[in-house]
Amino acid sequence: MSDSTSSPIDDTIADIPLASPLEGIAGAVTGHVPEGEFEGASKRRLGFGFWLAVSWLVTIVLAAILAPYLPLEDPMENIIVPSEGTPPYSPSSTFWFGSDQDARDMFSRTIWGARTSLTVGAAAILFGMLVGGSLGMIGGYFRGTSDKVISFCFLILLSFPALVLAILITALMDRSLLTISLTLGILGVAPVGRVSRANTIAFADREFVTAARSLGARNTRIIFRELLPNVVIPMSALALLGMAVAIVAEGGLAFLGLSVETGVTWGILIQIGAGRSELEAAPWIAMAPITVLFLTVLSLNFAGDRLRAFFDVKEAAL
Amino acid sequence: MTEFTDHDDHTLAPSRTHPEEPLLVLDDVRTHFKTERGLVRAVDGVSLSIQRGECIGIVGESGSGKTVLSRTIMGLLPSTAVLSGSVDFGGTEILGLPDKQMRHLWGAEMSMIFQNPLNSLNPLMKIGKQITEPLKLHLGMDKRSARETAAQLLRDVHIPEPERRLDQYPHELSGGMRQRVMIAIALACGPTLLFADEPTTALDVTVQAQILEVIAEQRRERNMSVVLVTHDLGVVAGHTDQIAVMYGGKLVERAPTRVLFADMKMPYTKSLMRSIPDLAAPSHTTLATIPGRPPDLVNPPVGCNFAPRCAYARDRCHREEPPLVTAGHAEHQFACWYPVGSPEYEERDAELDAARAVPVAVGGDD
Amino acid sequence: MRFWLQRLAAGLLLLLAVSMLTFGAMNLLGDPLFNILGPIAGDTENPTSVALIEAAEAEYNLDKPLPVRYAIWLGNFVTGDFGVQFSRDGAPPVRDLIEERLPRTLTLVVMAQLMATLIAIPWALWSASKADRAVDKASTVVTFLFVAIPSFALAVIMKWLFTLKWPIFPQTYNTSDPFWDRVWQTFLPALTIAIPAGAVYQRLLRTDLITTLQEDFILTARSKGVSKRNVLLKHALRPSLFSFVTIFGITTGALIGGALVVEQIFRIPGLGSAIVEAILREDFPVVLAIVMIITIGFVVLNILVDIVYTFIDPRVREA
Repeated sequence: MSDSTSSPIDDTIADIPLASPLEGIAGAVTGHVPEGEFEGASKRRLGFGFWLAVSWLVTIVLAAILAPYLPLEDPMENIIVPSEGTPPYSPSSTFWFGSDQDARDMFSRTIWGARTSLTVGAAAILFGMLVGGSLGMIGGYFRGTSDKVISFCFLILLSFPALVLAILITALMDRSLLTISLTLGILGVAPVGRVSRANTIAFADREFVTAARSLGARNTRIIFRELLPNVVIPMSALALLGMAVAIVAEGGLAFLGLSVETGVTWGILIQIGAGRSELEAAPWIAMAPITVLFLTVLSLNFAGDRLRAFFDVKEAAL
Repeated sequence: MTEFTDHDDHTLAPSRTHPEEPLLVLDDVRTHFKTERGLVRAVDGVSLSIQRGECIGIVGESGSGKTVLSRTIMGLLPSTAVLSGSVDFGGTEILGLPDKQMRHLWGAEMSMIFQNPLNSLNPLMKIGKQITEPLKLHLGMDKRSARETAAQLLRDVHIPEPERRLDQYPHELSGGMRQRVMIAIALACGPTLLFADEPTTALDVTVQAQILEVIAEQRRERNMSVVLVTHDLGVVAGHTDQIAVMYGGKLVERAPTRVLFADMKMPYTKSLMRSIPDLAAPSHTTLATIPGRPPDLVNPPVGCNFAPRCAYARDRCHREEPPLVTAGHAEHQFACWYPVGSPEYEERDAELDAARAVPVAVGGDD
Repeated sequence: MRFWLQRLAAGLLLLLAVSMLTFGAMNLLGDPLFNILGPIAGDTENPTSVALIEAAEAEYNLDKPLPVRYAIWLGNFVTGDFGVQFSRDGAPPVRDLIEERLPRTLTLVVMAQLMATLIAIPWALWSASKADRAVDKASTVVTFLFVAIPSFALAVIMKWLFTLKWPIFPQTYNTSDPFWDRVWQTFLPALTIAIPAGAVYQRLLRTDLITTLQEDFILTARSKGVSKRNVLLKHALRPSLFSFVTIFGITTGALIGGALVVEQIFRIPGLGSAIVEAILREDFPVVLAIVMIITIGFVVLNILVDIVYTFIDPRVREA
């Protein structure tokens, strides 16, 4: 992996997966990923915590998908309830998460925000994996010039502080859902690409690939039949972690006023509630979406982490 | 023997004993480890004693428990170890003492050198610092005297240019020199007991003899006891006063060195002897090995531990465990139902001779 | 020697690539003329406007082809001339803006890294010594939480808890305040960035410490009678720092992103808010200058990390 002309950083950057923003870098860099925090989580089983995280994710995704059909208040509508005084209303039986300054139901807004945030997150990582994964596999399989070029591109992408890159793109283009998702997806291309490349290199050396080649299999066949399943499946952990990062990145963008123009996301909701007066008078405006966001990101991180440990073991058993 | 107080004025040290009284006495020491698979009986009832200035060789295969035994005496075991028995060091019972108390002994009264000097020295610390550390800790030396003492120690172990070496790092030294450094560190505070755990296994053959010589020399000069742990009977032949043979966690034979080599009782010891390659043998001679694998320490076999692999085993060996009995010489103990020299042994030996098509050249008693 | 030259060359190549991409992106996707002149830029009817347009084009070299403009910009940049701000007449040159804002962001990031390290190292040592016991497991859960929480969320929570609900820290950052006051005002924002970073560092260090503690030379140290505390501090810590140092360098880049958001939330007028405003205004020279500065910092930091490596591990010095 390391030759005398590359620095420890170059070698280590090669394995950056996406995880909770900094941890991913840390974890991959050294291969030391703190794992399996909870009792009963051995490397062979996914563990109780994993399924707990998954159940939260399933809940929130279902809520997001079914939002139009659930008995929720209109997230944009101002619901003044004279008996409770002036908005913002604190959490009560009418407003489960309270309301914001304009008397909009926070519970409903949070669920509708989930819709957009999760879509952005999923689309972003999908794009990242598609583009990054493919580029990584191409570079890792064919090596040579194409690999050098692809790796250099990755390095450039990685050198930009992610948020600056995102800001740059969103400022110059429109701010539709699609653009935002693609922008965040671009952020994921390099980290995903490096992992995919590293996995491809590791697998391409293995015997079953050499065997396939000796039987006369063409490159495309090898890539699709042999490498793809083995490189991609372990990256499912990466997908979860990447989604978490994308959702968080969107939040960051929202804070700078650069998120989606129509509709609400968690980031936008939090940004609305983060002003000094709002926090003083009605902290729940920000805290409700923060809590839901946090739980989601936590679950994604944890589930991704457990999956990664799970696949590491199986690979070692190879 | 002088009474010894360390830097913090604790007197956990061998109290004045008569020079003829043993320095170290083990009585039925057992070390078991709690693991997922069950209780691993790494050391299962070992008793022996060592005099001041004496060198004992503890011989056995991997898994025989010899390393665990030395660590048990030192007290350097993980907390999963279950200990029983007695370890008397200069009049004080030290088995099971907490680390806090043992630390006053470690490095000061008893020290250890390990098998692989590359891994056993801190790669990021200068040699000098690694030697002066115990000096400052136990003897309260200041920087200058510690450094002078360290240089002298390096001279004692015959390392050339000691001053220069003090400022070097372990990776700058050869394997043999690193092991000498380890010896110097172990000897720094003048311990009365030195453990040498496979000190030469990781070294070139040519260097092995030198290292053993250094240890022997220091032992004489300091009147220090040495516990030499190894799998190689050849190593203990020249340097020990008594030898203890271990198998499957148990002591199977123990005798003064000369007595042992002259009169081995246990077939296992004999096999060990035979498996030493003989330089005088013609080339392409088949090496004699002991077939089979060491016993499972969680579920040891019924009867003698060695019986499954012993060419001389009979029914009784598989049913009853032989006790440790004394042979002709008062200091010679062994555990075998049909030891070398007994009629049953001779009978089986004749059968095996007839079966051997090609005489195998071995060292030993044939 | 060759090693360092190669690293330097790679770094310069990177800087060039980054600058070209940014320059190209801004000029191709944006409309410089519009940013300089406003709506007049599209008004080709009115002769006064046309005159202004032509003047602007001449002054900002907009009539020349893209590669030439890039070359001019590059030439100016390396001599320290960062150009003038586009969309504000009479605004100070970009250089001044950077000089004013950079120290604030620098203070923020430096404080954050310092705090993160100060949090991480003792915590890691403690949890390594208590590895796998109940307290350690609890501590691991805590660090996981801190790692997972998005920085802006944490910032909002910190702002609410510690400047409003329990007003320990000041609510605003005043550029006119004396130095130490401003440092105190930067404390909470720095802490906000430091906590997730510190958690990452702690987890990494703990893992490495535990691995190191299995090494043979630790047993040697114990057999010399060294106390548990000193075994950790003097023998185990230094060999365990490698991953930490690597990460330290890399995450500084990531931290800058965090700093942007934190600067917005706590209203600190640093580089972060400067670049955000500049991007929204499509003020190219400012954006370019700041991006370049950040990338230069990234390259310099990587090289510094390599240097630190040789200090920690004498074996690397030979290589």
